[in-house]
Amino acid sequence: MQKILRKKSFPQWVKKLESYKIYAPAKNGDVWNYEAVNHSEDIDLDYLNSVLSPKKIIFPQREIFLEFSTSNDGNPEINEVLPEENPSVIFGVRPCDAKALTLTDSVFGGDFDDLYYWRRRDQAILVGLACHNPPSPNCFCLSVNGSPHSKEGLDILMTDLGDRYYVESLTEKGNKLLNLGNKFFEEPKAKDKKDLEKINLASEKKIKRRIKEIKKIPPQLKEMFDSPFWDEEAMSCIRCGICTYLCPTCHCFDISDEVLSSSPIEGKRVRTWDTCQFPDFTMHSSGHNPRPDKASRLRQRILHKFQYFVERYKNYQCTGCGRCISKCPVGIDIIEVLDKVRDYGT
Amino acid sequence: MVNLEDLKKEAKRILEEGKIKYIIGYERSPNGMMSMPAFIKNPEDAERLTWDPSCVYNLTRFLVDEKRRKAKEKKPDTRPVAIVVKGCDSRAVVVLLQEKFINREDVYILGVSCEGAGVVDEKKLTEKLKGKKADKIEFSEKDHFLITSDGEKIKIPAQEILAERCLECRANFPVIYDEVLGEKVERRPEDPFKSIERIESLSKEERWAFWKEQLDKCIRCYACRSVCPMCYCDECVVDTISFAVAADTTAEEKAQKIKWIERSPDSSENFVYHLVRAIHLAGRCIDCGECERACPLDIPVRLLNKKLEKEAKELFDYEVGFDPEKPSLASSFKDDDPEDFIR
Ligand code: SF4
Ligand code: SF4
Ligand code: SF4
Repeated sequence: MQKILRKKSFPQWVKKLESYKIYAPAKNGDVWNYEAVNHSEDIDLDYLNSVLSPKKIIFPQREIFLEFSTSNDGNPEINEVLPEENPSVIFGVRPCDAKALTLTDSVFGGDFDDLYYWRRRDQAILVGLACHNPPSPNCFCLSVNGSPHSKEGLDILMTDLGDRYYVESLTEKGNKLLNLGNKFFEEPKAKDKKDLEKINLASEKKIKRRIKEIKKIPPQLKEMFDSPFWDEEAMSCIRCGICTYLCPTCHCFDISDEVLSSSPIEGKRVRTWDTCQFPDFTMHSSGHNPRPDKASRLRQRILHKFQYFVERYKNYQCTGCGRCISKCPVGIDIIEVLDKVRDYGT
Repeated sequence: MVNLEDLKKEAKRILEEGKIKYIIGYERSPNGMMSMPAFIKNPEDAERLTWDPSCVYNLTRFLVDEKRRKAKEKKPDTRPVAIVVKGCDSRAVVVLLQEKFINREDVYILGVSCEGAGVVDEKKLTEKLKGKKADKIEFSEKDHFLITSDGEKIKIPAQEILAERCLECRANFPVIYDEVLGEKVERRPEDPFKSIERIESLSKEERWAFWKEQLDKCIRCYACRSVCPMCYCDECVVDTISFAVAADTTAEEKAQKIKWIERSPDSSENFVYHLVRAIHLAGRCIDCGECERACPLDIPVRLLNKKLEKEAKELFDYEVGFDPEKPSLASSFKDDDPEDFIR
């Protein structure tokens, strides 16, 4: 289903979606992030990219699994806690971040469906916004099977045509949303389609960064596991969690019990984000750490994204959003690292 | 003005002499205007070194890595490493020396003058350039930066785009060095604690609301801790394994370890993290501002440390990182130390 929506009608359409919980990019100080919105007029789609991707809505940094306590008769009591039933719409999703969710889908799905992830995922409708201008100078989606107007993973894709949006519904869920605001949409004319094509072409040209000959990288990485290259590359790494916590595709977590009271027992079992970049991520209870230094941890990040994931899921575990490049406090640049990997030893 | 060629020549000389293991310095990033940390081993690579107002990083943090690496080596190379330091960074070296974390003979200090200016705040610059991309930034005549953008040269008064901490800097010339480049230009800030006066003027409730809003944003990526040269503890109280586990630590012992802080990034745990960090940096933080620069969520963490810096000054007349011979704040005692806050 393809439609045209006048920009001034956008808030009115959103108002029709009141039965949904609405999320959109919001500015706090200098940073944009996805937040729940109460007034449709507050949505500002004139933003670059958010610091954290919408991953944080589907796979929140903290998820309560269950609550435990001792009941009056002294028996343990366990209550499962599930994400609330609350259909949501996320506006302004960048194509790279939508694609990233298709990647975390394969991790939290497959042989075993992660109940918590899927409850949130199934309830969310993703309304994308094509990038007519790359939101970051470090965008490189074109190198990793993406594009600034990719529809993958989205329910609706909106494209800014100046005074109006080109709105394309891609799924049943998307159709439902459009139908709710039926009277605000117009049929696209030939000129709209032409404008859309022009914008899409132009947006691709504006993406400056590339990983060249990316196909050579996974086999090359396989050869480089024991290479001294990683020691050199990791010299400036400070072992913080920025690259992985901000990455829309990273999905590692830890499960722990938060004990509020030990007598009588009361507490919660929670899942929280974790990262391969923290030293304690691989620490065994014996004290042995198989990834003992930052070189082995940087290697893990790169190999997971560009070798292991490729071997297992036939896709890169990176959608080229550029966050890890822009926000690394010491300027480690995944494109530079991969360029060096590709050319290593030649 | 620091002559970059002199820096390169000196770097080349010390590497050729073979008395230095490697140099921790700055080099231009292949992508964009900012510099990045560089680790130079070969004399011919000394060419890569740079020094300009984009050299924001406090490289002394890498002395901590060097010490850890050396401790693990069976036959460690005991030659000193050389390090390029600005005034603020040199104060961090002083603290590491005071605390005997490193020895003076382990480091060869190459000081550079900030030329009466300082380093740039990337965000302020981006705003100033309104969407234009800067390719290069240089020190220009007194108090100005020279920006190259799209082949065009733009001169901007340094004051307008300086990093916040540079506006309050009390050491824009290295306080300790083996070799120093550039002239000493005195520039004393009118009020070194200006940034926190605004917070101090708020009521208790307003302050609580301010910090709650800020710290609620924290995702506990620990970049503020990881980038800090003073956060060198091998075990940090906030980590999930914040105790020594050895091969003979029993399961019981492990189970009984106190967990001081949960991983959940909620208000209570985030406050614990940030207050513990701030207290542990009292009388140690040299205000390089790296913690705040690194934070992806723009949380003004530096202000917490700044407040304690002010307390140290007012209560104990202690200024951090100027004299390596002086005992550190926490390990010194005077009979007339104030104690009226102990209740
Ligand atoms: S690895 Fe970096 S560029 Fe790729 S998706 Fe993750 S944060 Fe984005
Ligand atoms: S760098 Fe910012 S987000 Fe990360 S732990 Fe520190 S304050 Fe929190
Ligand atoms: S606390 Fe912040 S300002 Fe102080 S020394 Fe550490 S990184 Fe620098």
